[in-house]
Amino acid sequence: MKASDIMTQAVITISGSATVAEAVKLLKDKGLRALIVEPRHSSDPYGIVSETDIVYKVAAHGHDPKSMHVYEIMTKPCIVINPDLGVEYVARLFSQSRIRRAPVIQGGLLGIISTSDILRKSDFVEKPKELFLEDRIDVARAEARTICKEKGDTSPDCAAAWDIVEELQMAASDQRSKDKEASEKSSFEVYCENNPNAKECRIHDD
Amino acid sequence: MMQAKEIMTQDVVTVRGSATIADAITKMKDKGLRALIVEPRYNGDPYGIVTETDVVYKVAAHGHDPKKMYVYEIMTKPCIVVNPELGAEYVARLFANTRIRRAPVIQNGLLGVISISDILRKSDFVEKPKSDFDRYCEENPGAREARMYD
Repeated sequence: MKASDIMTQAVITISGSATVAEAVKLLKDKGLRALIVEPRHSSDPYGIVSETDIVYKVAAHGHDPKSMHVYEIMTKPCIVINPDLGVEYVARLFSQSRIRRAPVIQGGLLGIISTSDILRKSDFVEKPKELFLEDRIDVARAEARTICKEKGDTSPDCAAAWDIVEELQMAASDQRSKDKEASEKSSFEVYCENNPNAKECRIHDD
Repeated sequence: MMQAKEIMTQDVVTVRGSATIADAITKMKDKGLRALIVEPRYNGDPYGIVTETDVVYKVAAHGHDPKKMYVYEIMTKPCIVVNPELGAEYVARLFANTRIRRAPVIQNGLLGVISISDILRKSDFVEKPKSDFDRYCEENPGAREARMYD
């Protein structure tokens, strides 16, 4: 699954020069937890102002939201997400940068993605996706070679080490095929759908 | 100033530390909640909390299987708890200082959960911000300017 599959498309923008009171009103009226601050010119970055910014930086100090401005508390530039990024990598990016939501950008603002979207709409419970399998296969393979050199090619330790490599490779190919299923049908499958009676498309049960 | 109990969410769901993460996610999705409270196991045991953020940062971000991990592996326990009489502004200050976003409201038992959303949406910090003078008077109740004349 990609960021664009689970992002929230309803997104509201605000100007950095608006007051915090105006931002609070927008958040309340629209039932949102963050507003996006649009770039002011073509090379200006995106910004974000969240519920947390307002509570931590305004309410917590008893400042008057009517006399404070969005630019005083916003995060700009903010981390932005590419719509094609895999959901598991969005989760990892959020975890490593300690953020909870970010705008999804590609040639403009497409939506916003949050920890709630990941929890509620992604398939990580049904299909947990292990990360960096290819890297782990490389390491396991190197380890297997070392073990077999030390203990002999016919030793049980050597066989066990290659079993680990085999298991990881199977997991990787399994994930790749799942991704393929999810992303697109093969041209052969499309052909058979369009020509269900073609000879090549018959399924034999025997 | 409004009190925590006036703006907290009373709808609160608990989960056991021994439940799987997958069970916790189902509860959160079904009830539309962002956190579950882990009740003490015996008298004197502290409260705990497990949030959406814990699940995404510690499980989804690593591709771990939520069906094979448990709430106790990712929960925060003991967690910061809030007294129902605490002023909303002080709850905001406590949250900012400790970098948290929600906490259970406890007094002889679990009364509710209070979050930054509750503070933003239900408290009166926009209509009635505390002025610098109010704060000065609170800190210096003996000052001449702080005296109240009837």
